[in-house]
Amino acid sequence: MLNSRQRVEKALTHQEPDRIPLDLGGSGVTGMHVSTVYKLRQALKLDPPGTPVKIIEPYQLLGEIQPDLIDALGVDVVELPGTGTMFGFKKTDWKPWTTFDGTPVLVPGGFNTEPEPDGRILMYPDGDKSAPPSGQMPHGGYYFDTIIRQEHFDPNNLKVDDNVEEFELLSDADLQFSALQARRLFDSTDKAIFASFPGLGFGDIAQVPAPWLKHPRGIRDIEEWYISLASRPEFVSDIFARQCEVALANLQRIYAAVGNRIHVIMVSGTDFGLQTGPFIAPKVYRELFKPYNKRLNDWIHENTSWRTFIHSCGSVMAFIPDFIEAGFDILNPVQVAAADMDPTELKSRFGSQVVFWGGGVDTQKTLPFGTPDEIRAEVLERIRTFGPGGGFVFNTIHNVQPKVPIDNVLAMYETVRERGNYPVAN
Amino acid sequence: MEKYVELQESIISGKKDKVGELTQRFLDDGRPAKEILDEGLIPGMAVVGRKFQEGEYFIPEMLLSARALNVGLDLLKPLLEASDVKPVAKVLVGTVKGDIHDIGKNLVSIMLRGGGFEVIDAGVDVSPDTFVQMAKESSVDIVGLSALLTTTMPSMQETVEAFKSDGSRDKIKIMIGGAPVTTEYAEKIGADGYAQNASLAIEMARNLAGV
Repeated sequence: MLNSRQRVEKALTHQEPDRIPLDLGGSGVTGMHVSTVYKLRQALKLDPPGTPVKIIEPYQLLGEIQPDLIDALGVDVVELPGTGTMFGFKKTDWKPWTTFDGTPVLVPGGFNTEPEPDGRILMYPDGDKSAPPSGQMPHGGYYFDTIIRQEHFDPNNLKVDDNVEEFELLSDADLQFSALQARRLFDSTDKAIFASFPGLGFGDIAQVPAPWLKHPRGIRDIEEWYISLASRPEFVSDIFARQCEVALANLQRIYAAVGNRIHVIMVSGTDFGLQTGPFIAPKVYRELFKPYNKRLNDWIHENTSWRTFIHSCGSVMAFIPDFIEAGFDILNPVQVAAADMDPTELKSRFGSQVVFWGGGVDTQKTLPFGTPDEIRAEVLERIRTFGPGGGFVFNTIHNVQPKVPIDNVLAMYETVRERGNYPVAN
Repeated sequence: MEKYVELQESIISGKKDKVGELTQRFLDDGRPAKEILDEGLIPGMAVVGRKFQEGEYFIPEMLLSARALNVGLDLLKPLLEASDVKPVAKVLVGTVKGDIHDIGKNLVSIMLRGGGFEVIDAGVDVSPDTFVQMAKESSVDIVGLSALLTTTMPSMQETVEAFKSDGSRDKIKIMIGGAPVTTEYAEKIGADGYAQNASLAIEMARNLAGV
């Protein structure tokens, strides 16, 4: 039997391991909402009732996937922890809090929020309540969204400097933290290690409003940003070029800190797909994004043994050949319910060139609203479609959401465990 | 009509300053607002919708054209209201309770306005009761509900139910949209229709309005 790291490495080199490797919590797009983590831990009897779960990502409210849960489910991947959050504050000084649905949780000290008169809760950059709020959650909500803070700008006099404030060299302290964590996880676990660092993805719409900055300048409004892709591509390209120089310098620093003690790196989380088709013209990806993605991926492949990971929601069939040419090794979340994303076609056309990390079960319909039997059937079908020949790491299509029946979650993991052994064809 | 070609093309290519300039010039020349709308703005936006459907335009181009359209509509709106021109139909749109995502909803609104509909925008995180009340106050023909999240889809059903309990369900048509929403879901909750994008939302609204 292989250990987790060997299992993932085999899958990533398009060979069949002993069983299909499983990710949960390796990254901010392969995790689980804290409410569901809490319910799952309770169902598996890992905690006494009322035991809080840490929110390790305060924007999407992702719950911590602790080693006992990893062992209980047979997860093969761990996240290289980072220090920061989308709202700028550090993941330290944990304190109790309760979500709108009553889940007991722990949040970082900078997670400072009180209900507003209209019931919303707000989040502040660096947890600093004297700054304008940068995140909001409606009463009864489950996630934060950014509050757009678009200051006036002169469209005829745009400055690249304004839109690159957030791209800076990682601090020595953060790199040292990463180095220690990478060594700890590499030496003390047999898991594959998944790393994410800020500033590598270009034009990620979740990042453009920069909710961690107190007074962001430049183009920060989501619609204005998308419009810029069509109306001022040279400006966007200049931003990417500057960002790319910083990202390359950071990659060198990251490599100096962690070496080859990480296995997968999130290079891009920018969404290029809608439910119904491409978000932007494939030509715009090719001309505006791809050259920069390629520069980072090329550096990684020339200097490290890391595998490069791209996350893009939605229908991305039209982009996949370019993703592959840009040097991405791994595609996520493989949203097969989106238009033109037939699993069999994906596997037959691209299965030898890119690893499918995701696609395991639909999280918009089947997992929240289906029955355990429907989930077992879908998981089994995906194992049989994506599994043969390796090149498949099981993960739900994006994070597991809140309000998902826990029997459905259990049915999913049971099926992976019981039916995920190679050979998987029948 | 020949003279509106440049205005149409300015909508199609998303040149908002040009749209404003041309619309104003037609008004100054004494052209009726309704004519500028029907022969300039609406045909221009129809081409944008078609280009989106045919895969030539994507979200950035749609947003760019929508913004240009808005400039023209804002100039015409007071005149259309003053001249008592009847819209194709009145539509109330909003993002349902618990959900604050509005890019899709806004795009649908502007496409509807560009299709000759009068649109009342209820905003985001709109409770079922607010939808019912606003629909009554404005005597709308159609209510459009938007949701991005699986966790807020049930608010769509609750809104349909609220119209039923109020007794006003048969006075209006309800159309729904958003990433996790499907035709099947529309049928399940008793909505009248689902459109998978802003362009198809216009067709759906036309069907529901019987035009």
